[in-house]
Amino acid sequence: MKYSYSLIKKIAPGKYTKEELVKALNTYSFEAVDFGGDVFEVANTSIAHRFSSGASHLGVAREAAAIFDTKYIDPTLKRLNFDYKDKGIFKVNIKEKVLCPRYSATYVTDVKVGPSPEWLKDVLEACGLRSINNVVDIMNYVMLEVGQPLHAFDADKVKGGIIVRRGKNGEEIETIDGNKFKLSEDILVIADEDKPLAIAGIKGGKYSEVSLKTTRLLVESANFDGVGIYKSAQKLNLRTDASVSFSHDLSPELVEFGMKRALVLLKELCDAKIYKTEDIYPKKQPKTVIKFDLEKIERIIGIKIKKAEAQKILLKLGFTISRNMISVPPLRNDIEIIEDIAEEVARFKNLNELPAIAPKISMSAGVEEDLVIIKEKIRKYLSAVGYSEVYNYSFVSEEKLELAPHEVFGIKNPIKLANPLSVDFAYLRNSLAPYLEKNLNDNLRFFDQVRLFEIGKIFGNDSADEGGLKVSEKTILGIGIYNKDGFLEIKGVIDGLLASLGLVDWFMPDLNLENNLLESQEALRIELGDHSVVGYLGILKSGKNGAVLELDLEKISKAVMEEKEYEPLSKFPSVDRDVSVLVSSRIKVGDVLEIIQKADPEHVNDVDLMDFYEDDKFGDKKSLTFRIVFQADDHTLTDAEVDREMEKIVKFLKDEAEAEIR
Amino acid sequence: MDKKIQELKNKAVLEITGSFDLKSLEDLKVKYLGRKGEVTQILRSLADLSIEQKKVIGPQAQALRKELEELIDKRSAELKNKKTRSFDVTRPGKKIKTGHLHPLTLVEKEIIDIFKSMSFSVVDSGPEIETEYYNFDALNIPKNHPAREMHDTFWLEKNSAKNNKMLLRTHTSPMQIRYMEKHKPPFQIIVPGKVFRYEATDASHEINFHQVECLMVGRDISLANLKYTVEQFYSRVFMRKLNARLRPSYFPFVEPGLEIDIQCVKCGGRGCNICKESGWLEVTGAGMVHPNVFKSAGYDPKEYQGFAFGAGVERIAMLKYNIPDIRMFYNGDLRFINQF
Repeated sequence: MKYSYSLIKKIAPGKYTKEELVKALNTYSFEAVDFGGDVFEVANTSIAHRFSSGASHLGVAREAAAIFDTKYIDPTLKRLNFDYKDKGIFKVNIKEKVLCPRYSATYVTDVKVGPSPEWLKDVLEACGLRSINNVVDIMNYVMLEVGQPLHAFDADKVKGGIIVRRGKNGEEIETIDGNKFKLSEDILVIADEDKPLAIAGIKGGKYSEVSLKTTRLLVESANFDGVGIYKSAQKLNLRTDASVSFSHDLSPELVEFGMKRALVLLKELCDAKIYKTEDIYPKKQPKTVIKFDLEKIERIIGIKIKKAEAQKILLKLGFTISRNMISVPPLRNDIEIIEDIAEEVARFKNLNELPAIAPKISMSAGVEEDLVIIKEKIRKYLSAVGYSEVYNYSFVSEEKLELAPHEVFGIKNPIKLANPLSVDFAYLRNSLAPYLEKNLNDNLRFFDQVRLFEIGKIFGNDSADEGGLKVSEKTILGIGIYNKDGFLEIKGVIDGLLASLGLVDWFMPDLNLENNLLESQEALRIELGDHSVVGYLGILKSGKNGAVLELDLEKISKAVMEEKEYEPLSKFPSVDRDVSVLVSSRIKVGDVLEIIQKADPEHVNDVDLMDFYEDDKFGDKKSLTFRIVFQADDHTLTDAEVDREMEKIVKFLKDEAEAEIR
Repeated sequence: MDKKIQELKNKAVLEITGSFDLKSLEDLKVKYLGRKGEVTQILRSLADLSIEQKKVIGPQAQALRKELEELIDKRSAELKNKKTRSFDVTRPGKKIKTGHLHPLTLVEKEIIDIFKSMSFSVVDSGPEIETEYYNFDALNIPKNHPAREMHDTFWLEKNSAKNNKMLLRTHTSPMQIRYMEKHKPPFQIIVPGKVFRYEATDASHEINFHQVECLMVGRDISLANLKYTVEQFYSRVFMRKLNARLRPSYFPFVEPGLEIDIQCVKCGGRGCNICKESGWLEVTGAGMVHPNVFKSAGYDPKEYQGFAFGAGVERIAMLKYNIPDIRMFYNGDLRFINQF
């Protein structure tokens, strides 16, 4: 909202400049920005809690008077003389007492509608409002000055009296700006006997609008429930200054100040005659009284404060104090608890000068949760072996959902946003792989090899039916590579990584899961010792040198916690034996390794593939060389012992893989 | 020993050990042990000596010959082993390929280390999909209140099984409630995590970004303690002494609510283009945890009090590394990432 510096100065006259005011408001009150000329602005959000008194010139001037220690000349205290002793001809009937806690109306006659005086036009203009005629301008001016939204009806267009009721389905209203709105039960209206005249607390209707011919008015000053107005404004998609004010829960006490100020100005500027005000206020706002607990205020702020000083601050802001109880000014309905009082004291004590004091706490080790530690270890490992880290968006297009074998992570259905920014960002990602594939391709324009990884969340809906969402959210490691034999590299990297995390047992059987990302015969799943699937890796369809991997870190984290245990080191030397075989090219290395395992040789510590060789001279065969490492825990192996085990292996290779030993 | 033999020996040893290549060593061999060599001549001249002299000089000359032969062999082996051209150690070292961690990871890690050194514990980031309750209601941001408009929210299409509205968390503050539901004070924690805002992207706005939530609760944790913690944290992150400035502001989940500025990390407060000549940078919203938030978590607000603030990781990284555009963090461009 915009403010006029000269109007503030009228209410809180003092020797401060506009620059000093803006600076001081920032220090003591709320964020204010100089707008040049007579104007400065305060963001509604920053004064939301002090709205009923804050979002008005009176509210800001109250702050200024307290800061600069000036007089505070409240224009609503001006004397008002009624011209008649009765209330005129109108009755007010509030049918919705929760949505409308207070409604006051005043019948005004002999109004001379015309242009406003310059001083009034200046204030309106400074605050960004257009001058219309003196009556409408007075209503707007009072809203700016006092903070109470008002409305003036042409009294000749109001039939019978005012009824505050819910809209009816099928009813319609044309507002003063010429727009038409369909009404409903959810929307509160101000109506007469016949029809709705205004959308309560939001905008007036065209029919009863004040025109140059108007001579009699019905002036409304009312209070409406903040939530009700907020919902109505949302539903109608109609935001006005009035609706914003009401949405912030104005105090119903403000009603009478707004009305009185408007009537004074109507007499002054339009020569109007004023009837007594009809004021329906069934449930008066209770008085807020808070115990003056200085010790709590000191504990919140963290320094010693003299009682007299705190008292002085509160008095300047309009609080009253008697017998250790603080009475909150009626308009400050934002103040409810001692913490609110502490804020008033703290900000006028000058937060700028608050000392920085180290908290007194008992010593405890700062600890990190398991997943935090695992993530850090993985980052260290991967960056050390050449992989760079990327961060991608959590949002994907529908098309990208279909890419990766997300079933590996038990992700069933995708999660769609109700209000996506664009079709490219309509869903939450169910895999890191689609963006990693994109990252690989993007970077290939600048590098001939690319190695990257990301640690992030993927999302899915575990509930298959039409019913509610069952959110599944998993922390995943994704690795992507583009390089010759890239697949084998990440396969080696993941072995190294799992080992470095302290795992001892994992397998990589065929993935056997049709998907659009990976070549179907060229992908593996990653299983832990208990055969739970924790991830996959495979060669990208989009390019033979590209490969990706995804790994469920929560499962890995659990497995790591369970597994780490010391194994005694062997005191006896190991013996290496190499065996080269020629096997059919249909037989995979994995098959051969399985056969070696099936031979059940004793004392085998490790089997490594040393050489993989395909050549035309072998026809449809390939040559494989394995190194088998033998070691016993309790003695030094003899050649004879090792020979015996090798024979077992060779026999199995010949029988089961039809291998030719070279 | 015969004086002449002794002198010969000294001279020969010096010359042999000082020889610098095989050629000069060969010359020395001829000079001393060749057919006309100096040692050979002594041996030949033995015939002219008396029996007594022969007995003295003979063995000495023989010993010298043997000694020089061995010395020449040894030196010859040494010279043969010495490479003719030495390795040029001034060549550049081999390029070892290592990867680079993302700048947001580096900054987050620094933040974690600073807080850990101040006895804070690090809690894992928690769910990114939140219920309306944890993101708003429990944090004293009621339904149908303008305060929610400060949070432009991504909503999910479907509600939960219990028909709660679901959303992408707009801040890490829901973790205050989730942590307090399970732990009793006193404690001090930080929670780093990804958050989401429904808004148009530009150089300083992204639809997803990262925060670190900081929460300290005890019996008398105060605003002055908050100021201390904030000053310590930002001073250490930017590696220079920075004062904090507290300004009154409004966030529904804190009371008193504050906006915190720190002295400009570039100019230290004198005024520059980064701080728009003000000397200050707005860094975080903060305050004392609102009693209603404690009530949501099942605490008695009369018993406990504490402060909370949320630091923006991207903002710190941008200031620290002079990064002009927040979107660079999310485009996966290794030319950018590999600079860190």
